Amino acid sequence: MREVAIIGIGLHPWGKFPQKTFIDLGVEAVSKALVDAQIQWKEIETICSGIYIWGGNAGHLSGQYLASVFGETGIPIVNVYNACATGASAMRMATMSIASGQVDVALAVGMDVSPEGFLGAKSDDPKQDRDVLRWRMVGMPNPIYWAIECRKRMEKYGTTEEDLARVKVLLSKYGAQNPNSRYKKIYTMEEVLSSKMVSDPLRLYEICATSDGAAAVILCAASKARQYTSKPITVAASTLGSALYGDPTLRISAISAPAKAEAPLLSESYSASQQAYKQAGIGPEDIDILELPDNSSWHYLQYLETCGFCGEGAAESMVREGQTQIGGRLPVCPSGGFASFGEAIGAQAAWQVAEVVMQLRGQCGSRQVADAKVGMAQTYGLMGNSGTTILKR
Amino acid sequence: MNIVGPEGKMIPALPDLFVWNEDQVQLMSAHCQSCDTYFFPAFHEQHRPGCSRQGVQKVLLNKNGILKSYTIQHYMPPLPFKTEGNITPYIIGLVEFPEGIQIAGIVKECPFHALKIGLSMEVVTFTLYRNEQGQEVVTWAFQPTDPIRDK
Ligand SMILES: [Zn+2]
Repeated sequence: MREVAIIGIGLHPWGKFPQKTFIDLGVEAVSKALVDAQIQWKEIETICSGIYIWGGNAGHLSGQYLASVFGETGIPIVNVYNACATGASAMRMATMSIASGQVDVALAVGMDVSPEGFLGAKSDDPKQDRDVLRWRMVGMPNPIYWAIECRKRMEKYGTTEEDLARVKVLLSKYGAQNPNSRYKKIYTMEEVLSSKMVSDPLRLYEICATSDGAAAVILCAASKARQYTSKPITVAASTLGSALYGDPTLRISAISAPAKAEAPLLSESYSASQQAYKQAGIGPEDIDILELPDNSSWHYLQYLETCGFCGEGAAESMVREGQTQIGGRLPVCPSGGFASFGEAIGAQAAWQVAEVVMQLRGQCGSRQVADAKVGMAQTYGLMGNSGTTILKR
Repeated sequence: MNIVGPEGKMIPALPDLFVWNEDQVQLMSAHCQSCDTYFFPAFHEQHRPGCSRQGVQKVLLNKNGILKSYTIQHYMPPLPFKTEGNITPYIIGLVEFPEGIQIAGIVKECPFHALKIGLSMEVVTFTLYRNEQGQEVVTWAFQPTDPIRDK
């Protein structure tokens, strides 16, 4: 397998853009990535593109729609749908296309437009779409799943309301310094702790919003990367994971879980990250910065454990001691995280990769992590699918 | 077993999930005798890798279980969750059955201050709304096995 490098990234800022289409967002991200890589559109040899569910039929063919804007060149285009891991799937496929020797230059792109408020059901056909059960019979939007896991954690490890609020306070400081974030306000503990309760114990500011956004990544055979950039970023690992039998997580969409745990919580994310460490030939102790999926404050704490950055129940003290701050042992989400961006499901994994690239290049200004050499981007695991990307400079 | 309740006054919001009679409500699970896994809903099979998938039988779960986690929901979810008016704040509980499966459902007859992991829960029905025929459209729910007197 050939070594693969990232030579360009581009983002459309996160926010709500009701006047724009997902294609508008994607075009901006890809245009910026082309400029960043100093490469011509005609040099792109394959496109791996993805969006979540609100693009209709055009969304299912997002790559073709993007290509038509820049000019159709006959190259292979694959459209991926893999829920939260959509962008990670596009990354993995683009990486494999180059590593295998099929192409030298590939574009991975994720875009999304989201409705306001709670994400709802996709259909009302309970026969084909079992997701309907949790809506019709139980009334369970996504934050309920997070709250149920969070409550288990509080019972098991004594996680406090302050531990949950502290995550938002910390991330809001970084988000305020990121030009691409949606939320720039810096929050105090008091403000977070007095925000509305949504799904007890999770409050409004401890749950990410739903956003629009787009991210593009241009990858190249490492042997040719220096033709385009003086700072290529090596893809040390690009993996996908699925769940393990016996995972005790009450997974979004499911209405049951096994009583006896025979696998780790969030086993799909455990699987993706373990594969990534193996592929990269390193361990969690070698990671200098981590972008994790903080859909809620619970996720932030849980992912530190799931991906092996601390032992069971130790995430809270890691955060309390400042180990996850810029300047600490493991800066976590120096981008500001989903807390500052909101989730744009199809785009967020590619965005996390772009944020890690900017850190490794030293382009992050006031929120730059000093001397970051190895970074990791980790996605969440809706219905048991997840992706991990490890990058090195 | 009755799918339509006594006198046909209640109908389930979706079929094949639970049954009831005058005395009790029970959730419809399925058990794989080869890998000893219980499924809910019964038609959502989740076998152990390598299982022969032979000998899957429908079973009704015990009517009692233990509360393993919960949340109090303060915002109404969008359709297709349909209720008669706004029912917030409402409780969702995760109840563990002795067979070895945890199932989520609405919790009723439980004041918030009494919510506690480890509480013994019983399966009951919960009326979501009345349909045009005047029938109660119901789902399964949980309530404390021993009634809780409000403080
Ligand atoms: Zn089986």
